[in-house]
Amino acid sequence: MGRSIGEEALLLLRRRLCDPNFIFSLFSASPDSNYSKLKFIVSSSVTEACNNSILLLGPRGCGKIAVLDLVLEDLLKEYSGLISVIKLNGLLHCDDNCAIKEIARQLCIEHELMFSKMASFDDNSQFMIAMLRECGLAHKTVIFILDEFDLFAQGKQRLLYSLLDAMQSVASQAVVIGVSCRLDADQLLEKRVRSRFSHRKLLFHPPPKEDLQRLLKHTLLLPTDSDLPHDYVTEFNSKLSNIIADKRFMEVIDKLSDSDSTFSNFVRFLFSAVSFIDLKSGFMTLDNFKSALLTIQRQPKLDCLKGCSVLEFFIMVCMRRLEVKEKESYNFNSIMKEYNRIYDSFKMPDFYSPSVCLRAFEHLVERELIEFADRGQNQSIEFRSVKLLISSYELQQGLKFNRFVNLKTTLHLTPPVLHFSPEVDLHRCRQHSNSSHFICSSNKRFEAIPRSPPIFKGLCGSYASFLVLSYSGKYEESLCLIVCSL
Amino acid sequence: MNKVESPQVTKRKTRLSSACTPNAVENATRTINLPPLTLRDLVFGEEEALTYDDLISSLPGRRTQIFELIRLLGPVNSPVSPLFVYGGASTGKTSTILQIFRHLNRPFVYSSCRTCYNARQLFENILNQLLLHRKSEINGYSSAKKCEKQADFVNLLKDALTGVVESLKGNLGKSSSSKNSGISVNGSMVYLIFDSLELIRDWDKSSTMLPFLFKLHDILKVPDVGLIFISNSSLDAYYSDTGFVDPIPVHFPDYTEDALRQILMRNQPNSKLYSCFLDLVLNPFYRVTRKLDELSTALSPLFKKYCEPLDDLEVVPNEEIKRKLLCCFKPYIAPAINEIFRVTSLASNENLKRKKYGGSDSIDGLEFHMSTSAKYLVISAFLASRNPATLDATWFDSTGGSSNQKKKRKSSEKSRDLKEAAEQEAFLKGPGTFPLERLLAIFQCLTSGAEYSVEEEIEGETSLDGDNSLMSDILLQVSSLCSANFISKGGSCPLEGSIRYRSTVSEDLALKVAKSLKFPISNYLYRR
Repeated sequence: MGRSIGEEALLLLRRRLCDPNFIFSLFSASPDSNYSKLKFIVSSSVTEACNNSILLLGPRGCGKIAVLDLVLEDLLKEYSGLISVIKLNGLLHCDDNCAIKEIARQLCIEHELMFSKMASFDDNSQFMIAMLRECGLAHKTVIFILDEFDLFAQGKQRLLYSLLDAMQSVASQAVVIGVSCRLDADQLLEKRVRSRFSHRKLLFHPPPKEDLQRLLKHTLLLPTDSDLPHDYVTEFNSKLSNIIADKRFMEVIDKLSDSDSTFSNFVRFLFSAVSFIDLKSGFMTLDNFKSALLTIQRQPKLDCLKGCSVLEFFIMVCMRRLEVKEKESYNFNSIMKEYNRIYDSFKMPDFYSPSVCLRAFEHLVERELIEFADRGQNQSIEFRSVKLLISSYELQQGLKFNRFVNLKTTLHLTPPVLHFSPEVDLHRCRQHSNSSHFICSSNKRFEAIPRSPPIFKGLCGSYASFLVLSYSGKYEESLCLIVCSL
Repeated sequence: MNKVESPQVTKRKTRLSSACTPNAVENATRTINLPPLTLRDLVFGEEEALTYDDLISSLPGRRTQIFELIRLLGPVNSPVSPLFVYGGASTGKTSTILQIFRHLNRPFVYSSCRTCYNARQLFENILNQLLLHRKSEINGYSSAKKCEKQADFVNLLKDALTGVVESLKGNLGKSSSSKNSGISVNGSMVYLIFDSLELIRDWDKSSTMLPFLFKLHDILKVPDVGLIFISNSSLDAYYSDTGFVDPIPVHFPDYTEDALRQILMRNQPNSKLYSCFLDLVLNPFYRVTRKLDELSTALSPLFKKYCEPLDDLEVVPNEEIKRKLLCCFKPYIAPAINEIFRVTSLASNENLKRKKYGGSDSIDGLEFHMSTSAKYLVISAFLASRNPATLDATWFDSTGGSSNQKKKRKSSEKSRDLKEAAEQEAFLKGPGTFPLERLLAIFQCLTSGAEYSVEEEIEGETSLDGDNSLMSDILLQVSSLCSANFISKGGSCPLEGSIRYRSTVSEDLALKVAKSLKFPISNYLYRR
């Protein structure tokens, strides 16, 4: 097709990065990896013809599904004809009716039967039980994969119950594998379901730094036995090794893994680094990685602040001043009062009418820099109480960026108690911690100080409860959570 | 009936592209029997693809974003992880993405969550486009597939995508051998573009819909599909309970002043004159708002004003003309900023033209028509909201307990503090609520006290026998005022159980209404 060499290499790298099987095949070799453990458990229940259930737990992006897929692929090769796999996803089939239908559908496809769309819940569940028995008699194992397992535990858990109950009989031969990013997924189960569940759990951790290093080399080094010209491959690989040995590169990687060291984040980082390759030369540079770090770690609120106009900043400064004065709640009218006061005392160059300010105020709401604090039924905007969604530090950064010096002087603030380092992606920390349910935040506002080893301090609202959270890096130690309520 | 085709045609219209190609719409409305859709309809469908330089010049101020996006999309047929394009309103996200696809000439499916207002609409829209299905009279304007649940959507989408990708691959082989087709489709990847994603947060099942969309790429496991999300708000606004794997973010910052100038200068017949105008106007307006759409609507009448002294619009301004124009124009700038966002009706626009831009308060008359009784109702609702209910007797009943109220005690320090606190509270709480009975009572007092010849329904009310049938007219007026949002209906009071109302009229408007009736409202207004 007339592609250049660089393009060919880029295509190869992108294909690799978008293929989780390739990425996780690296870790399948070692004996104490989750891959080997999982494979052992599943294959033993296939060979011994018994029922089993496992939960794969761990934060998002640690490769639970990818490892599971690898295991299944291998097992299907090994025991072809003895295994049939039914895949469900909590996001798609959280409704019991829909889930059982999907099971019936997939069983029908697997065994080349006619699937009736009209079948009821009872019909389908009876069909499933019958199929399980038949499969058991034929010494065929049915593997049920329930992705987003926590979502199946909502409601009456009829699906889980009927599935696990069917597995109690000797005749059946099935394995249920639940995958969830909630570490407390098994606590969500009802008693009757929990008692039928074997409490086998496999934990997935974010990888240590050495693994990331290996992964980097595994994915980015070009293979010598490909169609690409040999000279190019050796040059590419030697340049890349130079970069990896570079101290500055290690800093970049440290920055990345400080906020989020999961596989998925790392792969995303590599993907954007790879896509920045200059196609003319076709070699990676350190700048590729640096700019990739910038695209991956964004501070959305600060980005948003940078685009605000003077008047919008003015309103936020007024709100900040009201907050410093410890006004518990304030609305647009009190902001306008403050605005007039600032105008009088500081002799600001521009003064705008309330209707224009109201429009700017609405822009801020639209940008989600401020938020209404009440439900506000039938109340006009001027009277609804509002709150700022950014910290004073962010506001100061925004003012500094836009060089609104005279506005900054109006922001007579006590220095903020908490600084969070600008390189940290706050959003990531928050999501991460929340996805494993370490912080239950009621409020959108947070300030954090992550350091390496990452220690988050989450401050939910200035007046609300105050969570200090330390993160020990190991999940077994289950993270000490200190909650001081103010 | 041509309206039905328009979603097919306008799906790729943005403000920008519709401005560029007005004849595309004409074509669509003229042809009734459209030919069946082919794979080529999945690309932008222009005669020739945009070159990279044209792309850059057609979107001023977006060079880095275009570069980044093209890099992330990669060369033809390269897999891509999901992208998340975000930035404020009117920063050119949608137009940039669509123009990039016009440049790349790759197949894509664009669907906006604004037009597809629920999950079913969204799913069916995507499937229709992929299955090359067009709603028409023949099929009773139905979709290709009925699909409401996410589970069904995934199955159908997988089938549709594999079908499209396969035929694209087949097509590719053919077109490279024959090379005579007019528009060739580049590559066999299909990109799904989801616009205005932030609206999904308000949908019914947003808690599963959003993680589902973000995970769609993993769920589908089709390598030949790229997902692009376009959103107003940043990723942290899509914060969900158990999180999701983030797509790669691409930020569109707000336009800088230079970029705005470049955009505003486009399609101006006399660019020199317009640039002189922008020199004067852009900076003060830029301090208020950076939104392109608001700026362009605010600036277009101002430019007319600016050109008024000129006889010939083609003139190239020299220093003298500039100075002259500046003299004439300068007084209009400052008031115009404060008028900037006022939405004026057509009639009042004409009024404004006749009037001088004196001050912001130059319009003293009401800008709309209202019957006298409705005006009285507005005033009484306003009074009922502002005045405390306990003082009604003082204002409206001549014999009521006004005697002890009129004596004003000297306020002590403490009472003044209390008063201040109460004032503060009122400031925060806004107008108070009132039951319907109180509104009607005040209304009756006002109209009976007024010495004007009022309409018959009010006469009916003041008549002693109290004809209730005429009261219904007033109730009707109240409900129409409610629907016009002069009065808002609140929740019912937990003790009384009756519905409470609240006046949403600002003080200025109430004063204006009173003025038009020559009603001395200030006599009745309680001042703390």
